[in-house]
Amino acid sequence: MKSALKSCASALLLCLGFTAATAIAQIDWKQAQGTEIRFLMNKHPFTTFIEPRVAQFEKMTGIKVAIEAFPEDQYRNKLIVELNAGGKVDGYMIMPGQDDLYHWKAGWLQPLDGFIADPKLTDASWDPKDFFASFAKSSSVDGKRIGVVINAETSLLAYRKDLFTKFNRKVPVTMAELEDTAKFFHGKEVDGKKLVGITLRGKGAAATSQWVDFLYTFGGSWTDAKGKSNFASPEDIAAFKFYGDLLRNYGPQGGTMLHWAESTSSFMEGKAAMIYDANVFKSLYENPKESKVAGLVGYTVIPAGPKGLQLPHVSNWSLVIAKNSAAQRQKAAWLFVQWATNKENSLAALLAGVPSGRTSAWASKEYKAGDKTPDWTAATMKSFDIGQGQWNPPVINVPEIRDITGLVIVAAIEGKDVTEAAKKAAELMDKKSDM
Amino acid sequence: MTTALSAVARYVDRRQRFFFPAPAVAVLFLIIVLPIAFNLYLMFTKWTVGLGEPRFIGWDNFVEIFGDERVWNGVKVMIYFSGASLALELFFGLMIALYFNRTFRGSEAVQAIYIIPFAATPVAVALIWRIMLNPEIGVINYLLTSIGLPPGLWVASPDTVIATLVMVDVWKWTPMITLIVLAGLKSLPHDPYEAARIDGCNALQIFWYITLPLIRPVLIAALMLRSLDNLKEFDMIYTITQGGPGIASETLYLYSYNVSFGFFKAGYGSALMVIVFLVVLVFNVLMNRLRRDASLV
Repeated sequence: MKSALKSCASALLLCLGFTAATAIAQIDWKQAQGTEIRFLMNKHPFTTFIEPRVAQFEKMTGIKVAIEAFPEDQYRNKLIVELNAGGKVDGYMIMPGQDDLYHWKAGWLQPLDGFIADPKLTDASWDPKDFFASFAKSSSVDGKRIGVVINAETSLLAYRKDLFTKFNRKVPVTMAELEDTAKFFHGKEVDGKKLVGITLRGKGAAATSQWVDFLYTFGGSWTDAKGKSNFASPEDIAAFKFYGDLLRNYGPQGGTMLHWAESTSSFMEGKAAMIYDANVFKSLYENPKESKVAGLVGYTVIPAGPKGLQLPHVSNWSLVIAKNSAAQRQKAAWLFVQWATNKENSLAALLAGVPSGRTSAWASKEYKAGDKTPDWTAATMKSFDIGQGQWNPPVINVPEIRDITGLVIVAAIEGKDVTEAAKKAAELMDKKSDM
Repeated sequence: MTTALSAVARYVDRRQRFFFPAPAVAVLFLIIVLPIAFNLYLMFTKWTVGLGEPRFIGWDNFVEIFGDERVWNGVKVMIYFSGASLALELFFGLMIALYFNRTFRGSEAVQAIYIIPFAATPVAVALIWRIMLNPEIGVINYLLTSIGLPPGLWVASPDTVIATLVMVDVWKWTPMITLIVLAGLKSLPHDPYEAARIDGCNALQIFWYITLPLIRPVLIAALMLRSLDNLKEFDMIYTITQGGPGIASETLYLYSYNVSFGFFKAGYGSALMVIVFLVVLVFNVLMNRLRRDASLV
């Protein structure tokens, strides 16, 4: 009892010490007192996490924050309409890998470099170097930082640990091994069920977000040095072909209609030996109420391509500041963004299930103590380190070009002439791209 | 004061024909005339929603339409889907109406059950079909394999997707044709039938020479009603396939939707919508002419 009291007291002292230490380095949080700011947000888990904490920020700074959150589809529409009409928006959320060019060209994004560099505006403890480099890079356009990551994602190869042990198979580290492993498991009967080797998204445009990891890993790219479509290059064609063949030969029936929901449910039903999809679907695979494979899944980064390249994509939601907003409100908005993405909030968000873009959060004792899938964490960390932030075609009309890309993926899955389909898509992409 | 008021009253009174319909006209103008006019303006512009203002480009959108492979694919899918489903619905609708056009035990109950697909909400029904047709977890393949038949790919294969969608459409909409034709059959006069029977006609002859010519205007009316919806069929196809696999079931109407609301290209999308409108219009003008000819007989 006595020792418990003692340790409590020393913990308290330590805490006080810390607050005192940070208090010295702190900026003047009251500098924008009395300002009112308005943020438009997607009803994302991060929003749900931060909303109840906003009162703390308001108390600390005297800034009044109005957050308006909507479900994603509705949010995107409302955001475009409001920004287009020059509405009073001081900050909002975007997915830079998808939206940054569009918003940048429309002149809606305020570069943040000036705020970050100003020691009066940015607290030293915010530590910009603590963010994974891949996310800092993907939240930048034309070399200017336009957002701060609040939700970090990537894609991973998930596999059935139990089956790999049972059949004594190694986890694939190259694309050739991946194909070989898929072939090995395809058609095997386990518990009266016929397995498929691997399941992937195949539904046209929806498949591009995972296919792109194969594209990069095979050494391909969306566009060449001149900004023209690169689909007809040997690397791009190889990536289309490999992905299509893999799904056609060793995947579920009707591959061209697989969206993530169909693909993940097939894996969760125990019908597939492997799946390549978003890392956050771990929460689906590991949920014993929904999934028959909970606790049996291992995770690893994308296998290396023919030239040894390993380049998955990373995607994120970022908080940005509106260019249209007045200087004083922008200052207040930056204080809010800074506070929302500080180390303390990033860690709390991660513990609440919102994957953070800060290395310190993932490396913390608190996170590690509760981590039930350390191989998932390790694979996610590696992917964040090596990942590429640009996961969509570098154009303004992303949905249209993704749609055109999807047609080649479908042709590849159907076993049609990939070279011809890719050439046709390249022409179409050049014709329809808005740069 | 009173004189001023009564002057106003007299003024309104004398122009009743302008004032009384005015609210209705204003609403119609806002919700019908204005959007159509805006659409007609947009089809001559290039405009991605959110990026700048609409830019006038003349007939360029229509030039692009002629060179756009997906437009031709959409037309092909539309002809295949609508041709097959309308023909089958008309055929089965007529046959089933003939079957129902007599009294038998429980005929009312059977008819009530029969119209359920037609009465059900299209999107809800389509969602259930989508799950049932899934080649991996769908109940249809489960039933087929459990009686020893090979499973099908249904909407997951470009070769069978339209036939499968036609099947769902026929299942859902045949009852509507049946109801209309049945009402027509019930109103037919009895005399020609009695005369034919006295003259010794068999059932087939009666159907071919009496029922069919008499019912033709009703059939064409049913076809027109159905084709209005069918040619711009959206909810069922969108819910089950979204135009997939690839673009194998992407009708012109679906493609217009994708361009307008998926790619946000409002100018090109408006031009496509006008083409769809013209197709439906031309088809219905032709049908209407057929119907007028038929009623003259």
